[in-house]
Amino acid sequence: MTSATLPVVSAGKPSVFRPGRILLYVVLTVGALLMITPFVWMLLSAFKSNLEIAKFGWLPGELRWRNFVEAMQTAPFLRYFRNSAIIAIGETAFTLAVCTTAGYALAKLPLRGSKALLNYFIVLLLVPFQIILVPLFLIVKSIPLFGGNNILGQGGIGWLNSWWGLIIPLGAAPLFTFLARQFYVTVPNELAQAARVDGLGEFGIFWRIMTPLIKPALITICVFQIEAAWNGFLWPLMITTSDSMRPLQLGLAIFAQNPEQIQWPYLMAGTALATLPMIVLFVFAQKRFVEGMANVGIKG
Amino acid sequence: MTTTVERPALATPRKVAPAKDGRKLIRSQVRAGWTLLAPALLHSGVFIVIPVVAVLVLSLTDYSFGDTWAWVGFQNYSDLFRDVDFQASLWHTVLYALVVIPISMAISLAVAIGLNQKIKALGFFRTAFYIPTVTATVAVATIWLWIYNPGSGLANGFLALFGFAPNRWLADPATALPSLMVVGIWQGLGTKIIIYLAALQGVSRDLLESAELDGANRWQKFRNVTWPAIGPVQFFVLITSIVGTFQVFDLVYVMTQGGPGSETRVLVMDIYQNAFQDLKLGYASAETVIMMVVIALFIGVGRLLQKADVND
Repeated sequence: MTSATLPVVSAGKPSVFRPGRILLYVVLTVGALLMITPFVWMLLSAFKSNLEIAKFGWLPGELRWRNFVEAMQTAPFLRYFRNSAIIAIGETAFTLAVCTTAGYALAKLPLRGSKALLNYFIVLLLVPFQIILVPLFLIVKSIPLFGGNNILGQGGIGWLNSWWGLIIPLGAAPLFTFLARQFYVTVPNELAQAARVDGLGEFGIFWRIMTPLIKPALITICVFQIEAAWNGFLWPLMITTSDSMRPLQLGLAIFAQNPEQIQWPYLMAGTALATLPMIVLFVFAQKRFVEGMANVGIKG
Repeated sequence: MTTTVERPALATPRKVAPAKDGRKLIRSQVRAGWTLLAPALLHSGVFIVIPVVAVLVLSLTDYSFGDTWAWVGFQNYSDLFRDVDFQASLWHTVLYALVVIPISMAISLAVAIGLNQKIKALGFFRTAFYIPTVTATVAVATIWLWIYNPGSGLANGFLALFGFAPNRWLADPATALPSLMVVGIWQGLGTKIIIYLAALQGVSRDLLESAELDGANRWQKFRNVTWPAIGPVQFFVLITSIVGTFQVFDLVYVMTQGGPGSETRVLVMDIYQNAFQDLKLGYASAETVIMMVVIALFIGVGRLLQKADVND
């Protein structure tokens, strides 16, 4: 890792015609093409007929826009979109609240054993989700005083088939606490000290001084969390029984229910539509990376 | 800007608080710290630690989703050490991690630095590199299967340009795993680039400028200012890459199902099969425990590497 040679180009004059610049553009363009090829193929396939999609090819004979309409009519997709949006927004709000506070405490406040606590969160990262699925299900089922459960968590369904169950267990992943912590660490302590001298309380320092300075990290957390929630499949499948709460990915699974007869054009059309909001989100989010730059003018 | 720090208040430091307030100040910081940390501790305790403890306990049993089960001590573990499938999976996963992590980190950092400049079509480039992250796995798999197609695939067409003999890629035991590694690197770039981009925003421009005034060249500026400044984030990327590569599953599942033979069988696939197809949840739990130990070892080495390079 340390021996990786990297092209370091200064952010100086943006002269397009320097040889280094041209090389940079060439490399980036080739890379970008490599990155978007499968996506473009997916978009094109969404317009194909069943016959065309069976053999590998790029361009559809005609643009079958009706694939999109028919795919969306197969199931209540409008509701699935809404449900996914609720889960994504809920999880993201919950994650931001829990993970920035924890990350800040780990990075900047004099807690005894904060190194050990950091290690605790890192160890939690190691846990593969697939394997805690069964115990997690049982825990969510026995959340006390919800879904007809008594105080001991017996007798009802707990958070199963509820927004709580869809949102809370998968939100606030240790990953994001760790991410937030690693960004807070890079903010110099002098800022907090100065605010303290000025009589600002600890929560004020966290909220008004330090957190605005890691805005790029906050945007990163939002993008990753929304993305993860949007693509959630296994967990909603396990804990929802009614159609009214099911998210998008479960809706898309309809087209692949029968492995012998996957409805490829519909699957591609549905997937393309489902991906669109994520791309729009990212296009807006990536602009903020540049904006954030102007604010971070602090001495390290 | 919407979030400018309240500069006037900071720029006029008043008289420093008297020393007797010092301890009170520390105490209020500690209190705030635990308050801020409490929700995350509670959440992770309930939804991760308890399930993990359950896995640890299960690994000592022969539980298989039935009504009856028995303690078997370390039987599952000793069985695993004789399990050929498990050994193959572990070896493939370790190899996969060792190749994919350094290469993908180096490429991501290089691209992020390229995308952190004032260049034209910046938004397009950034979005393009992120697209694989949001592209459906079926689409990703279809394209790469076509690229690796032994008959008409793009990869063999590329080899032919340079006069090399065609390869069977995913169908050849010798090249199946390396072929998967390429796809793994390709797919993982997007998230890493974003994290690096966010980190590069935090590199102090004042420091970069003063380094420039001191006559530092580009490489010196990178090595002495940027590299140490992104250290903590670099560590984050390393840890998540280790965890991510060890948990690779979807990609392998859709592209090779572990074949040819069991040349691309990986750990989570083996665990998944043991748990949900053979219904040996106790056995699969023991396998998970071993996997977590191996990841922890890797992370330990990662920490040592980072300590040797920059101090936290």
